[in-house]
Amino acid sequence: MSYSGGRHPARLAWLQALRQPLLAAQWSLGEWERVVRLARRLRLLARLAEVLMDAGLMERVPPQARRHLIAEQRLSRWRTSAMLWTLERVATMLGDAPYPRVLLKGGAYIGQDLPIAAGRLPSDLDILVPQLHVSDAQARLTQAGWNAVELDEHDRRYYYEWSHEVPPMTHPLLAMELDLHHNILPPVARTHVDANALIQRLRPSNWPAWQVLDPADQVLHCAAHLFHDSELRDRIRDLVDLDGLLRHFGATPGFIARLPERAQELSLEEPLALACHFCVRWLGTPIPADVVESIESIGPGRIRRAWLLPLLSTALMPTEPDDSPPLRQDLAAMLLLARYHRQRMPLRLLVPHLWHKVRAGRLAGNDEVVKPAGG
Amino acid sequence: MIVGKAQGRQTLAEVKFSEVTQALASAGVWIDVGAAVVRTTGDSESFAAQLQAVYAEFPFVGQAQWADLHVQIRKPHNVRRWFRPQVMFRCDGRQPFEPFPADSPLPLFEWGCNALIGRRLNDLLLLHAGVVERDGLALLLPALPGSGKSTLTAALSHRGWRLLSDEFGAFDPVSGTFRAVLKPIALKNQSIGVIRRFAPQAAFGPEFPKTRRGTVAHLAAPRDAVARRHESARPGAVVLPKWMAGSPTRFEPLTENVIFPALAFNAFNYGLLGAVGFQSVVRLVRQCPAWQLVYSDLDDALATIEAVWPHVMERQGATSK
Repeated sequence: MSYSGGRHPARLAWLQALRQPLLAAQWSLGEWERVVRLARRLRLLARLAEVLMDAGLMERVPPQARRHLIAEQRLSRWRTSAMLWTLERVATMLGDAPYPRVLLKGGAYIGQDLPIAAGRLPSDLDILVPQLHVSDAQARLTQAGWNAVELDEHDRRYYYEWSHEVPPMTHPLLAMELDLHHNILPPVARTHVDANALIQRLRPSNWPAWQVLDPADQVLHCAAHLFHDSELRDRIRDLVDLDGLLRHFGATPGFIARLPERAQELSLEEPLALACHFCVRWLGTPIPADVVESIESIGPGRIRRAWLLPLLSTALMPTEPDDSPPLRQDLAAMLLLARYHRQRMPLRLLVPHLWHKVRAGRLAGNDEVVKPAGG
Repeated sequence: MIVGKAQGRQTLAEVKFSEVTQALASAGVWIDVGAAVVRTTGDSESFAAQLQAVYAEFPFVGQAQWADLHVQIRKPHNVRRWFRPQVMFRCDGRQPFEPFPADSPLPLFEWGCNALIGRRLNDLLLLHAGVVERDGLALLLPALPGSGKSTLTAALSHRGWRLLSDEFGAFDPVSGTFRAVLKPIALKNQSIGVIRRFAPQAAFGPEFPKTRRGTVAHLAAPRDAVARRHESARPGAVVLPKWMAGSPTRFEPLTENVIFPALAFNAFNYGLLGAVGFQSVVRLVRQCPAWQLVYSDLDDALATIEAVWPHVMERQGATSK
């Protein structure tokens, strides 16, 4: 079996340590400083900590860096336990509801105890129920104390008519935000995913109250989540997740070879092809060359690849910690944002939607920024 | 850590202003505050001057192998560079906080560094407390809003107590000791005048009159505190200060059930540390005698603490230095 090679960017070489932790044991103090800064920003520092701890290599990390690994590992374990707690509470709140309840993304990885579940920093819980039962689930959750975040009329309509989830909910006693989905992409998007097809293939998780998507659908959802999103800067973590999913589930013979067929059933050929492209080239994900070929043959055509791939690669490549993002990255991010909006909504919805966001002053929103509480 | 100790190295106050501005404009200035090293760059003379004033006694380091926090204090590359100018705080390629007005780079630097230290140094239990040391023992002053913690910490640090921190009771669960997070003390409003009168020799940075908390001025850490910032301190005692206008000094012992929540639930990362946090606070509560101190007169408040200190030393088995 031959693996599709390609060059791995030198700036991403440190990511190999997530799979081969011995590499990290050789880093100089200067390399460690760079990795701690980059990995923290990319939400991979706790992952690195868990990998090193697991390999018994923590003692070989210089103490200056080790303390940051331990600190971030504590943060991750705390958030993970808050997630588990929330998961169990929500399961009880939904009680005997007679329809499937599905964990998505991080919750699903933790619910299956996948290798990539270690070292995450969960801040919200994503769950899915069939669309027919969304209002029942919502009613049960509201009854149990979950509140929808406050929305104006436009946003309410946005969520109920154009979105694949209900407005995010918070609970006064639970530290996680809850996102209740009925699909993995918006119903008005150009790419329409048949949610029933997802629900027909559910699998049990480690908790009897929760199910998870079929492994192939988990890969495709992860890819769609990344490549159908509005912001691709600093999203290497999602690629690392994809790589982890492909390696883990790929151990089952034929798993990867069957992905293109499933992608076609769900109309997710493009995100799969893009995921395959970047995983193989940037992270060395072992996908047989003939499978790469068949995945890419159903993906975007030559002309689309010619403009889309450079844009994605410019946006995805993390900036060095001391540098400001180069102009070309801002430009790529802007063009991808335009593509995102175009894919997500037809123009007759998009134009009024963006106009509303501009008026509400939320177009350039950066949720990372917090207002200082004092001088 | 930073190569070379304070000895034989010029302090920020001793080097030429142009050296500070040049260092800030190139690789940066490395400031070792004890439990962490902050590296900062900056593109304005006002920031250089303010930094030089409030980190006066710290060694001037223009190149080092490691920093825990990498900060850029700089002008925005947009219209806010000229129109109602602002200054921004960047760290590791992100802008984690909103900008401040351009004339307040130091408050932004201080506020931002404290916020990131409080979020990131989770290898330590970070109590929200002032810490001073004497005879190797830490005196912990946990903060309750409006408690006058900073005023009391500042006063003690100019009357023979070594300052470890005004903001962070940084307890190392492994060694069981407090580590210094030695930053300038941010005094607000009338506390500024109180400390100026109380300790006329104290070195202040400029006053910033229009911050969200009113006027703020930063008190530079004294020389001895800087020189000894890598010496940790065993837990000694806890004093919960409460400033009350016109009140006579009252000093009352507190029981464990009062002191536990005062320490744990004001901490930056108590919950995050899980069992480690709980065990650390239990250890502190069992080990440290605790009092509430209601005061209006600083001299009297300090005399009250002095009077009880021999008992603390006896209980902790410490000897006078």
